Amino acid sequence: MKNVTLSTSSTNPASSGTAISIRDLSISYGDFEAIKDVNLEIEAGSVTALVGPSGCGKSSFLHALNRLTDLVPTCRVAGSVCFGEGEAIYGRGIDVLALRRKVGMVFQKPNPFPQSIRRNFEIPLREHGVPKKEVSGIIEQCLRDVGLWEEVRDRLDRSAMKLSGGQQQRLCIARALALDPKVILFDEPCSALDPITSSVVEDHIAALRERVTVVIVTHNLAQARRISDRIAVFWIRDGVGTIVEKGVTAEVFANPQDASARCYLEGVCG
Amino acid sequence: MASSFLTPSTTKTRRAQIGDWLIGGAGALASFVTLGALTWLLFDLIRLGLPHLSFEFLTGDMKSAGREGGIGPIIISTLLILGCCLLSAIPLGVGCALWLSEYVQRGSRVARAITGGVDLLASVPSIVFGLFGMTFFCQFLGLGFSILSGGLTLTCMVLPILVRTTLSAMNALPPDLRPAAGALGLTKATMLGQILLPAALPGIMIGITLGVGRALAETAALLFTSGYATRWPETIHDSGRAISVHIYDLAMNIPNGGEKASASALVLLLMIFAVNLVATLLADRWLKTRSLS
Amino acid sequence: MCRLRIDWLVRHLLGVLAVVAGGLVVVVIFSLLQGAWPAINSGLLGHFFSDPNWQPGSVRDPQYGLVPMLAGSFLVTVAAALIATPLGVAGAVFHHFYAPRQIAKWNLRAMELLAGMPAVVLGFWGLTVVVPAIARIEPPGQSLLAAALVLALMILPIIALTTQAALAAVPLSQVQAAAGLGIGRAGTILKIALPMARRGIGAGVLLALARAIGETLVVVMLCGNIAQIPGSLFDPIRPVTSTIALEMGYATASHKSLLYAAGLILVLVVGLLVGWLSFRKNLDHDAVN
Repeated sequence: MKNVTLSTSSTNPASSGTAISIRDLSISYGDFEAIKDVNLEIEAGSVTALVGPSGCGKSSFLHALNRLTDLVPTCRVAGSVCFGEGEAIYGRGIDVLALRRKVGMVFQKPNPFPQSIRRNFEIPLREHGVPKKEVSGIIEQCLRDVGLWEEVRDRLDRSAMKLSGGQQQRLCIARALALDPKVILFDEPCSALDPITSSVVEDHIAALRERVTVVIVTHNLAQARRISDRIAVFWIRDGVGTIVEKGVTAEVFANPQDASARCYLEGVCG
Repeated sequence: MASSFLTPSTTKTRRAQIGDWLIGGAGALASFVTLGALTWLLFDLIRLGLPHLSFEFLTGDMKSAGREGGIGPIIISTLLILGCCLLSAIPLGVGCALWLSEYVQRGSRVARAITGGVDLLASVPSIVFGLFGMTFFCQFLGLGFSILSGGLTLTCMVLPILVRTTLSAMNALPPDLRPAAGALGLTKATMLGQILLPAALPGIMIGITLGVGRALAETAALLFTSGYATRWPETIHDSGRAISVHIYDLAMNIPNGGEKASASALVLLLMIFAVNLVATLLADRWLKTRSLS
Repeated sequence: MCRLRIDWLVRHLLGVLAVVAGGLVVVVIFSLLQGAWPAINSGLLGHFFSDPNWQPGSVRDPQYGLVPMLAGSFLVTVAAALIATPLGVAGAVFHHFYAPRQIAKWNLRAMELLAGMPAVVLGFWGLTVVVPAIARIEPPGQSLLAAALVLALMILPIIALTTQAALAAVPLSQVQAAAGLGIGRAGTILKIALPMARRGIGAGVLLALARAIGETLVVVMLCGNIAQIPGSLFDPIRPVTSTIALEMGYATASHKSLLYAAGLILVLVVGLLVGWLSFRKNLDHDAVN
């Protein structure tokens, strides 16, 4: 495993992750119900993996956590999602932009802005009111956190699109980190990368433990086993996605209670 | 007090809000101004011209230089000019595009030369086409000021549209059509005529509609090619006035011609609208019959 | 055997049609050159730029200065673009990011309707509404401003529709990335979507410029038709296209050849604009590949 350096600020208790409490969450797109009555408690600072076959609503679930579901006009979310001391994020008067600063997201296909590396950080930082003089320092710190600093320090003003796939994805992680979030959501972050790059990115995700709360959707069961503390298995029941098994990763893999979950975790189906 | 998870910085939120309102407001204003102008235009046309729209107007003779009477001969001339245009432009345009699409290598010199020529043709201003038409069709080919000259001049303007849209219709065809035809031992002509063309027809129809719209709206190219005559045309060698030229004449040269000009403008817009409608219906019908069989 | 014969026929027939279609522009240019030849031959062309005025028919003091009309074309085109571009881009931004779906649908229809509006109808409306309104502020009303305003209305759909397409081409992944970072709508538009749509918007503006320079009807009806370099927005002007349209009818031989030469200049200018446009497009293509 590669040696991963953590920034010294990670020892600052003020920037540790936040707990998430999901109750009776249901998501539908028009007439299509994606998930129904999902309950999950996510511990602060933990790494939680969401696994299951395609189409079970894992991504929808993830997108509901930072209200990215608001981008889809036909999407309806019912139930509650609460962060920290019971702060619900669905409701009137919620500042969604502030929410998304605290809850970052890294997508399946790396999506850096087609501008310079520096601009990729500047735009979100300035949008959230971070003073100009702090920006460079944050850029360096976050790029170090993902092991990119030495690779790109001389080309910060060149286009981010010229980076390799793995570098772009690490850039996206660094960009999300720059906003000092309490939670980072990962939507199959390694599935578009080759195995070697994949393991580099995976190590950086694992190193985020304690500093932020990590929720990661993954198709790679071995990956889930390696890096997650807790796991939730999604499955389709009665035509709708839901969680069929959840708990501490080691226990769930050793002794799955639900039949479909066992079938999936043993690689027999799904 | 424990800091809450969602503390927004109020100044930043307000700044973002103000920015959003400003941009949205500017955009809404721009849309409003544009649509307002369009509505005003249509409203004026209807206000001035609708009272004059009648069966007599559409079929009657022109009197008093257009201030009275109808525009029957003008509508006929317009349709004849359009007909001449389409009869030459469609074979040329669609044929050219088919040749480029099926018989020539994509980036070859010949392909690029012909595409370049057609693109260059598209950039010639319409009044210059009028000059060309006058010299070439009226004088050199001896057709004089006639409906035919006007129609042929319009062909030059409509050609690039037909070539471009037919080419993209052919490019949009599913790529496995051609190997399938080849594997069945069909000749290229058969494949073209029986399989590719019918499949590409809706796209080609759209191109023809665009071309017709362009031709109907065109004035400058017809000023010196199709003539000004206002009698009923008997052949395409007769001089004839298109409806767009008629509007121009009424607006610029005839005092008090405003109301008849509005009415004529309404007729022109209705013609363009009708063409769009027919093309959409045809495309739909064609698609339906194809998918049923 | 017969099938192959037909195949041969079709291939060659289509080939002939294609060559005619592609060669038409050559015929056009040749014809124009032929018409302009007397002017070129006699050296009158130099006068295009040295004579101060345009009085080709005058017997006492014939002058062939094209500059006032070139200025007219240039000014009315630029003025129209300056009006149409912000309106078109802002309208497209509103359509894409703010408008509710129903309004957006009608907005698109309206824009396409405006795009298909015949120039003569726009010019006619300008004559009945815009010119009198301007005349109230400062007579005579037919002026650079009147022509520029209605010309702007005419080219606005080109800019709006291309901007709209360029904005729609911004990948969803970028919008998601921006949203995921908590960047609001205004920030996404200004810092991400518009910069990405830059090339498309530029192409639309170039197309609009090319259309405006070549436009005849709107300007001839609204510009006042006095060949002069205008002192103010309210002064009448006469672009090159109007000159050709107005004088073609009664021009004598040598005068006519000057008009052909002017036509050639128009083709050159518009051709350069459109050529630049496709040059840019090819650059894009190579950059992507």
